[in-house]
Formats: sequence, structure tokens, C-alpha cells
Amino acid sequence: MIQRSQLDLRKFVVPEFICGHGALQLAGRYARNFGMKQVLLVTDPGVRAAGWAGAVGESLVEAGVSFTVFDSISVNPRSRQVMAGMETYLAEECNGIVAVGGGSPMDCAKGIGIASSNMRDIRTFEGVDRVPVPAPPLICIPTTAGSSADVSQFAIITDEERKRKIGIVSKAVVPDISLLDPEPLTTMSRDLTVDSGIDTLSHAVETYVSNASSPMTDVHALEAIRLITSTLPAVLEEPDNLNLRFSTLLASLHAGLAFSNASVGAAHAMAHSLGGAYDLVHGRCNALLLEHVMAANYEAEPERYNRIGAIIGRGGATPAEKVAAFRRALGVTETLAAVGVREDAIPALAEAAYNDPCMVTNPRNFTCEDIERIYMYAF
Amino acid sequence: MHSESPEDRDALREKIIGLGETSLHKSYYPELQSRLAELERFRALLDQTYDAIFLIRADTGKLADINASARQYLGYSREELLAKPFIDLISPQQKAWLVEFVQKSGDQLSKPGQTFTAPLVSRSGTEIPMEITVRSVTFGAEQYVVAVARDITDRIRTERELRIKESALESSTNGILIADLTGAVMYANRSCAAMFGYERADAIAGRNLEAFFADPTVGEKVTVHLLANPAIVQETVGLRSNGSPFHIQISGSVVQNDAGQPLCIMLIVMDITDRILNEQMKRETYAQLGKNIEQFAILGDHIRNPLQVIVGYAEMIDDPFAKRILEQARRIDDLVAELDRGWVESANVRQFLRRHGEGVEPSEEVFFHFSNRKQEDI
Ligand SMILES: [Fe+2]
Repeated sequence: MIQRSQLDLRKFVVPEFICGHGALQLAGRYARNFGMKQVLLVTDPGVRAAGWAGAVGESLVEAGVSFTVFDSISVNPRSRQVMAGMETYLAEECNGIVAVGGGSPMDCAKGIGIASSNMRDIRTFEGVDRVPVPAPPLICIPTTAGSSADVSQFAIITDEERKRKIGIVSKAVVPDISLLDPEPLTTMSRDLTVDSGIDTLSHAVETYVSNASSPMTDVHALEAIRLITSTLPAVLEEPDNLNLRFSTLLASLHAGLAFSNASVGAAHAMAHSLGGAYDLVHGRCNALLLEHVMAANYEAEPERYNRIGAIIGRGGATPAEKVAAFRRALGVTETLAAVGVREDAIPALAEAAYNDPCMVTNPRNFTCEDIERIYMYAF
Repeated sequence: MHSESPEDRDALREKIIGLGETSLHKSYYPELQSRLAELERFRALLDQTYDAIFLIRADTGKLADINASARQYLGYSREELLAKPFIDLISPQQKAWLVEFVQKSGDQLSKPGQTFTAPLVSRSGTEIPMEITVRSVTFGAEQYVVAVARDITDRIRTERELRIKESALESSTNGILIADLTGAVMYANRSCAAMFGYERADAIAGRNLEAFFADPTVGEKVTVHLLANPAIVQETVGLRSNGSPFHIQISGSVVQNDAGQPLCIMLIVMDITDRILNEQMKRETYAQLGKNIEQFAILGDHIRNPLQVIVGYAEMIDDPFAKRILEQARRIDDLVAELDRGWVESANVRQFLRRHGEGVEPSEEVFFHFSNRKQEDI
């Protein structure tokens, strides 16, 4: 276990972001100011149907910027989708990217950016600091409150041939500006609101106990935990309430600023492995794993976990139990077995999680067997 | 600042928050984009030239960059070319020579205009004759050689065609003279030199046309005529270098450039002395023949008179032989009548003989015989 001191060297990278009602309409102005002439507008069919891609497109047109829409993106974006996006980017002679959507379009947009600036297969960037040429400017307009891909140095892409997620960690994939507007959040389904909300909570919790955390990330992590646990249940009651939606967006932003700088831990490593193998929604994987990872990590950082427990408040004796009560209250009650995971697949899942870069910042060094045991608790 | 309106203060506040139209964080991207556009524009410019441009790394000899013409001439893709050493594009026969040239002119390469000709070999194996100018340049810390190759296929063909035309002119049996518009001779072929009695053709160049005619004004008249008319055909008297005259026919024309402006005049000279002498002899022969026919007619009259006397005497004699004499005299009269009839019938022949024998004056007295005039204008 790594001993920490507040005197340890730390770096804090924050991209520019604008938050508030109407931020979305600034997409055109920023695209033009970045010198973008032909934009690849990366989105997904759901966001497009909800009208948010169209609204951003209008803003681009108003600013005199041309664009091409690329929306062939699924949940858990695939390496082939990234490469198809790169082909479109090059064929249309784009010189900038605007991403509208949740984590999938934003991660895919990051992938398209580095693949086209380096002219390489996206899978060759797996790992930390492995992007030599920076991507073209990227403007993100998140339509969910959870992934924080709009402010993070992470891009998670599924290698469909090997059925696993690859993590690309690099300052070169941090977007140039994020436009945080609460309005697009109002069209999220209940499930998506819950899954992305629990993803936010997982980011905040894992960052707060991360061995790379710092006084700067602590502030944001704790505020994220406070905001998301206090507003998520209320949002489900009033999905059109812009103030509540904005609070979840702020929670996600705080969590994003924290985890982008201090990274996450075992829950994310295990969620990546699970999502890659079974094509499950990322937030839901976290929801099923977080409390079990917290319990397994507790001894390494009891004070920090207790602090988290104190913020969540009611629901159980331990912080892990409180998180479990929180997700049950949101209607997340299934197990890994219930979502289709086979018990005999767990050793392979554990091995993939063990090799995930997120595992490096977990407060405890887990062995593969430890990880298998945690999966079994969630099974 | 004190007089600011509330709207101005609001705008200022927006900018301080960072929401101004140009409240941007530092980014070189827009500038990079415009510099790239500038570079692309410059590359497009280089791609417009017909010359093939090669940027060669001095250390490896490999190509670092090429323009579109280089690709088009050689038929390789950009990627293929960038993997090649420049020397591999040179015709094998010239390779060793080029290596020597580069070694020899090492220091000279930094000066402009080191030019050589060598064929470049295209992907399909075709050799393209090129005039290649090389120069060494330094970008940053890197040493390069820039080679600009110009296709000289057309030039070589033109030169060959020119040589063929030149030797055709030179070997023509007619004399050919080319003079500028002031009448100064620029060129004369061998036949011309021989015709005018010069040992060498280049002894003629530089002289004025007036030196070649018995009448020195002929040269100028021909030139003036040609500036207003496309051609001239004329018989005149030439003057040899030793001062002896001889009959010549000159055909002159103006050589023009593509814009139709006169560049020089060309005269084709034929020695027509033999023809002129023949014509003279013919004329004399015809005159003699005409004269003979005339004399023959007079002879008939001369015979008739004594014959009349003989017939008169014979009629006065009463003798059996007189009848015989009259009979023979009638035969003679018939023969003379026959001759008279032949005289009448020979009117056309006599007219022809008159015309060619004594009709027109000798031609050397008519100096101008313009090809574009009608016969009756003379
Ligand atoms: Fe996450």
C-alpha cells in the first residue's frame, strides 16, 4: 500500500468548461474560434432522435461552420466504429470534432481525434501516455450526467475482436472545452439517469480513496458525493426540473475533475472487464460492484470511507452498506448472475481487471484471487 | 470608464466571466490551420509547374519531398517515390557519371545553376530526357539537395528537326540567301556561294543584297516589295564576286514569326544563263525561218515574170515544139501556184515565227516581272 502525504507531487489538469442553461448554443462560437471549418459532429442515434445533435448543428450553421454527422456508435463504442469515424473525418476533410451525447459518443470522438491525427489504429494507443500527436480540437456537449468524459483524460474503447475494453489514458484526449447545459439531461430515460448517476458516485468514491488523490481532488470528490446522493432520488421524481438536473451535472463535473486527475480504482477496473465481455452498460456494472469493492478496500482507508459514509448518511452501518441501500432505493436490485454473467467466466474477468490501468490507483493491491472473490460477492 | 452605460458594464462583466465572443484560452490551432492552408496553397503552386521538383536528403540521397509533376512524369505514387534514392530514377548509363558530377562539383552545389542533362526513368521504364538543375540547401540543421528537372523531349525533337531543315537548305541545288529586313545577308548555302563565285558560304554573310545584282538597287526593291507582298518571282542579272554578270531568277518570300511579323526574307536563286541563251538562239532561228519563207514567196514572183516571157515567145512560134514548151511552162506555173497556195496556208506559221523571232524585245530589258501582275500589265 502506498503511503500518502499532502506534500506529495500532484498535477491538476482542468479543461475549459462553461456550465449553465444555454451553454449548448455556444458550440458554434467555440468551433469557429478554434478555427474549425468542417466539423465531424459525433453523436448517437438516441441523442440525435432527442434533437440535441440538431440543436448543436444549428448553432454550428449559425456560426458559419459546416459539419458532417457521424452517429454509427453503440453503447460501449467499438474500435471499428472509431476507425469508421476516422475514415469519415478524413474523407470529409474535417478539422475539428464536436461530440454531443453520453460517454459513448464522447469516448468515440476522442478516439477518432487521436486515430486521425496519428493515422494509426485506435487499439495501438492502449495504456497511459501513448498518444504522440495531439488530437484536433474537441468540443464536448454531454447529454448525460455521469461519464465526465467531457473533462477527463480517459477514453474507453471496446476491442470487439478480443471482447475487452481498452483504456486510453492521456492528456492528449482531454477535450478543449466542455459545454455543460442541463437541458439535454431532461430527455434521459429513468434507467440512464440512474446508471449515469451511480457512475458519478463511483467516480467520486473511488477517486476519494485513490492512492493518487490530492487535496484538490478531495474537494471535488466529496462535493460530488454530496451532490449526487442528495439529488439523484429527487431527479427521478422530477425529471424535467432543470435545477435538479443541473445539480447532477455539477456532481458529474466535480467527480470528473477529481477522477481525471487522481484516477479511479478496482470497481472501474472490474466494470471495464465486465462491460467488455458482456456489453453491459458501464454505470450498471459499477452499480453492481461498487459496494463490494468498498467493503474489500475499507481497511486500507477507513477514515476516508467513514467520511464518505457520513456524507451519504442513512441506509446502513458501513459505508458499503449505505451505498448498497442507495442503489436499491434507486431500483437497482439485480446481481451479476441476473444480468447474464457466467460463474466460470469470473477468473478471466478478474485477470482482465487485474491488468486494467485503473487498478494501479486502487488503495489496496488486489491479487487476481481477491478480485475473483469480489466478483463472487456481486454474483 | 466613468461614463460607461449599464449595457457596457454588462458586456465587460460577461468578458471578465469569460463569455465574451473572443474570451479564448491560448490555442495555436487556428494559427496552425491558417499556416497549413498557406503551405497547401504554396504546394498547389509548386504542383502547377511543369518542372519536376525533388527535395533530396543530402545524407541518404533519398527523396524527402516531390511535387505533382515529378509524380506525373515518373508514374510513381508519392509514397513510392519517398522511399527511393534519387539516383535510382536516373538512367543506368548516366548513374556513374552523375555520381562523379556530384562529387566533383561538391562545393559548387551551393551556387545556383549547376545544370546537367540526363534521362530519368519512369515506372514503366520509359526514359525521359531531362535538363536537371541541382542546388544544395539547408533547412534547419538538415542538408538537402533540390533538383529541378525540365522535360527536354520537345527541345531535342525541335533541334533535330531544325538540323534536318538546315542540312536541306545547305544541300539544296538552288542558291538560298536569307537576309534581314535591312538587306544584310544572314545566311547563304553552298550552292549560292558557288553560283556567285565565293569560295565559302560564310564569306557571304554580312554583305548587303546589293552586292549580288548587276543593278545595285534590285536588292532594296525586292525587300520593299516583300514587306508589302508575300512573294516575288523575278528574272534579273546577278553579279559574281569577280564582277562578271549572269542571268538569274530569284523567288523571294518573307519569313514571319507566329504573330505574323516579318523576321527576314528568303531568296531562292537559280542560274538561268543557259535558258536565256537557248531562248536567244531560238528567237534567231525563228527569224531566219520566217525570212526564208518570205524569200521563197518573192522567188515565185521572180520565176513568174521570165515564165510569162517564155510563154509569149512560144505562142508566137508555129512549131510542134512550141506546144511542148507551153505545156512545160504551164507545169512550172502550176508549181508556182502551188507554192503561192502554200504561202497563204502558212499564214499561221509565219505569224508564230514573227512573234517569236522578231516580235518581242529581249527579256533582259524588262526588269520587273511581278508574280502577282497579269501579263498585259507589263
Ligand atoms: Fe465510470
